[in-house]
Amino acid sequence: MRPEKGELTQAKKTLVPGLTEADAIDRAKQGDSESFEALYGMHKRRVYSLCLRMTGNTAEAEDLTQEAFLQLYRKISTFRGESAFSTWLHRLAVNVVLMHLRKKGLPEVSLEESLEPQEEGPKKDIGARDNMLAGSIDRVNLERAIESLPPGYRIIFVLHDIEGYEHNEIAEIMGCSIGNSKSQLHKARMKLRDLLKTSRTERATRS
Amino acid sequence: MTCAEFQAVLAYIIDNGGNAEQQEHLRQCAVCSGLVSDLKYIAEQAKLLVPMMDPSKKVWDGIKSSLEREGLVKDSARGSLLGSTPLTRWGPANWLLPVAAALLVAVGLLYYQNRTGGQQATLQPSSDNAADASIQAAPLQSASMGDVQDQQVLSEVAAHIPALSQSYRQDLQRVNAYIADARGLVTRNPDDEESRQALMEAYQQKAMLYKMAMRHSLP
Repeated sequence: MRPEKGELTQAKKTLVPGLTEADAIDRAKQGDSESFEALYGMHKRRVYSLCLRMTGNTAEAEDLTQEAFLQLYRKISTFRGESAFSTWLHRLAVNVVLMHLRKKGLPEVSLEESLEPQEEGPKKDIGARDNMLAGSIDRVNLERAIESLPPGYRIIFVLHDIEGYEHNEIAEIMGCSIGNSKSQLHKARMKLRDLLKTSRTERATRS
Repeated sequence: MTCAEFQAVLAYIIDNGGNAEQQEHLRQCAVCSGLVSDLKYIAEQAKLLVPMMDPSKKVWDGIKSSLEREGLVKDSARGSLLGSTPLTRWGPANWLLPVAAALLVAVGLLYYQNRTGGQQATLQPSSDNAADASIQAAPLQSASMGDVQDQQVLSEVAAHIPALSQSYRQDLQRVNAYIADARGLVTRNPDDEESRQALMEAYQQKAMLYKMAMRHSLP
């Protein structure tokens, strides 16, 4: 007879291991560093991935992950539970990355840039059905292509298409207009499309 | 509408589909519909990307060092809450928790090994007398013995960190419920590996709770 797995569900979900996220947050707010360590364990991968995708650099991503969690330790007492903890932590991490990029002087979004129609018009082969991407992207190629994006495009793309931020949120975080956020995202996707097609052609040539 | 006109506004309409004229162009134009399909496909694939890599160990080491430098946590030499912890300041019960933790793990191991053929389950001699005693005593572990240990742990927590007392009480209740569930499963399904693993995991979680309580109760 197979065991009734549902019997374990309740207890298993609430202990991961030993305490829930809510317990860990409560304890960390009171300065409990063991619980803070548990929160680090739960969220390090997502925060690190966010930093890595936004910067495209492993060393920078590690430094920024460290800084994000240090800020978490200092600020966790201000977490009021108005949003999910992961959302709050991600916003904090995004701010850490953006602050770093501003210090480096990298243009995140060109505020002057608007989406004017291309003077030369669309390329002749654009979107030709026999050259469409559907079914041809794998995770590794997409990650590589994202890494190759210019920083401004990459940040908007990561925030919107990977992390799920809305344009109004991005506009607020980045200090730009919603239209500018949409424009940058579109350009990022267009650039990715070019990169992915180039990569596909190179792979086909090699094989 | 031309392709250039359509593509000039595409950034703003790709999510909502645009007006009737733009939609009509999209239906009629293979070039622009192919472009839109590609862009949407890229966005869909991006949503599927999951975090794949953990940061290296040095990130946590750096966090720990920074917190210690800033005096936000005790440094290792004085008994870090983030690192190893001396047991000498835990009062009369300082011997209890490691023994209890070892006992809990041993019980889990014995359950696990008994069910997988006790002949291969010979435990290696240990230099730790307390742990050896725990392992020998493991089959005698009972609910009431566990209750006594729990009460001792909760007393220490209440004495040193009353704010966390209720939280630890709830955690212990949860993990005890988990152990009871897992024991029931193993009893009913002695050959089911998943049930045995669940029991092991349950005991390990309880051991971890004890360990955390010990560390947090340091003055």
